[in-house]
Amino acid sequence: MLSCSGLSVRYGRREALSDFGLSLARGEIRALIGPNGSGKSTALQALAGLIGPVAGSASIGDRPVASMSRREIARHLAFLPQQPVAPDEMTVEQLVRQGRFSHVGLFRSYGPRDEEAIRWALESTGLADFADRGLRELSGGERQRAWISAALAQEAKILLLDEPTSFLDIGYQIEVLDLVHRLSRNRGVGIVMAIHDLNQAMSICDRISLLEKGRVVFDGQARALAESGLIEKVFRVEGRFVQLSPETPPHFDVHLSRWRAIRS
Amino acid sequence: MMAAEPQISRRSASGWLVAIFAGIAMLALVVATFLGVVDLPPADVAAALAGHGSSEARSIILDIRLPRILTGILAGIHFAVAGLLLQTITRNPLADPSLMGISQGAMLAVSGFLVFTVYIHDPGSNTLQELPLNWLPVIGTIGGVLAGGFIYALAFRRDLGPLRITLCGIAVGAVLHAIGIGMIAGWGSARVEVLLEWFSGSLYARSWEHVVFLLPFTLAGLAILPLVRRPLELLRFEATVARSFGLAYPSQFSLALLISCCLAASAVGVVGPVVFVGLIVPHLARFIAGRRFDLVLPLTIALGAITMTLGDLTGRLLGQAEEIPIGVITAICGVPVLVALLRRTA
Repeated sequence: MLSCSGLSVRYGRREALSDFGLSLARGEIRALIGPNGSGKSTALQALAGLIGPVAGSASIGDRPVASMSRREIARHLAFLPQQPVAPDEMTVEQLVRQGRFSHVGLFRSYGPRDEEAIRWALESTGLADFADRGLRELSGGERQRAWISAALAQEAKILLLDEPTSFLDIGYQIEVLDLVHRLSRNRGVGIVMAIHDLNQAMSICDRISLLEKGRVVFDGQARALAESGLIEKVFRVEGRFVQLSPETPPHFDVHLSRWRAIRS
Repeated sequence: MMAAEPQISRRSASGWLVAIFAGIAMLALVVATFLGVVDLPPADVAAALAGHGSSEARSIILDIRLPRILTGILAGIHFAVAGLLLQTITRNPLADPSLMGISQGAMLAVSGFLVFTVYIHDPGSNTLQELPLNWLPVIGTIGGVLAGGFIYALAFRRDLGPLRITLCGIAVGAVLHAIGIGMIAGWGSARVEVLLEWFSGSLYARSWEHVVFLLPFTLAGLAILPLVRRPLELLRFEATVARSFGLAYPSQFSLALLISCCLAASAVGVVGPVVFVGLIVPHLARFIAGRRFDLVLPLTIALGAITMTLGDLTGRLLGQAEEIPIGVITAICGVPVLVALLRRTA
């Protein structure tokens, strides 16, 4: 449903993304990992058509994103940037309502279909009781859920999330990941998600892409990534993968220099 | 279904609020018609409005007061809506036509025009002659729109962003202002008071011609507003978010800027740069509307009309024959209101 190939993006002279390719199936969760500045956000924004690539193209279905209007794109694809900022005094419900813009457009009034989508988006993120709260009154975790809720209200079949769990405590992080999983399995939403926590990335994703300096150095299953030895090289860390249970993907146990002497 | 009820009541409460302020605007219009420097008994005013009464009363009401009040109402709506649009698209609560270079463009055009025409007519002399005052609205409007276009072009060369357009506006405004002031200083004519009166923002001697000049801009502006109502909500977000929600950001940003530019420039052309109306009224409207953002636009329109009407009435009554220009009133009253509003929201 979403695919791209040969996607290259330049900021001035610096090539932020080179020859990026990806294809996302219905209901698939794709994790994007990589060090800071490796091009994860750039890749997501290029997929969403928010920045123009110098080469390559992204397509939704068989239609190039570049040929679609913003409204058309927004009906198929919801993108949640990193640390978005909402205007002061906006309530949760008002924010979520913005997610329906691509459906209602400039004139049409909100119908029962839209109200239903807004209600569902609020409920899925556990915010139904917070609807009339001001965004500024919320905790970081609640605010992030409100943004996810707004993206859900778009009812897009593709969801791009840029580090949705950053700055959340572990409880909210898991809540977000579980929500992502439910969306993919129950609603068939295809999700591409940039995420920093390696173990969370490996356990939530169906496929994983590892980026280094704007290039994809790995694209495949989490298990294969564990066996590749790329993690230690790309992130410049030492550690090992441990199999905590036979069903789950392996867990990366990073070594701190403090304990190195004891281990060896 | 439970949730539907409070929503309906909230909506009707909103309707009431707008109706109340529309009522206040009408009331202000009536009060401003009945009160003035010349003390006409209410019965005479009513008679004049109905087309009867003495020719003197008819002339005062129909030829002086009414066009003046209506010019004020239209200009007030222009300034207020322009301020709201600029504050929204620049995401800067201090944005205002006079901050963004539009007023300065109009001022420079008007002073340049006057200096030029007077010089052409009678070089090297300060003898009093008929100044081409009828042209001022047109010239001011063109100057303001040109300045807005220039700022837009400067900001557009890179990417159209809120901060960029604000900085361009301030910079261009400062330069235009300096040139305008320099031109007047160099002119040094006995007719400088015409410019000074215009620069301070005044409704003195505004006639039906001014109403007729402003009305097309008002009607066109208000007719387009429904088109930008929803984009205005989204333009309050950063560009990435707004575009992700499906907004064609550059074109909606440009449209809002164009509307505010035309409204502000035409109003400055007719009444001069009345400061603070464009800045304060949107803040007042937001304060009253609270979280009901859909009320901000109608309240801004109503409050713009109210502010100008009452401000001008105050200036007329306080100053009597030597009336105080509306621009002075709005500046003096505007500052405390702004400080109070900032304290509330901070």
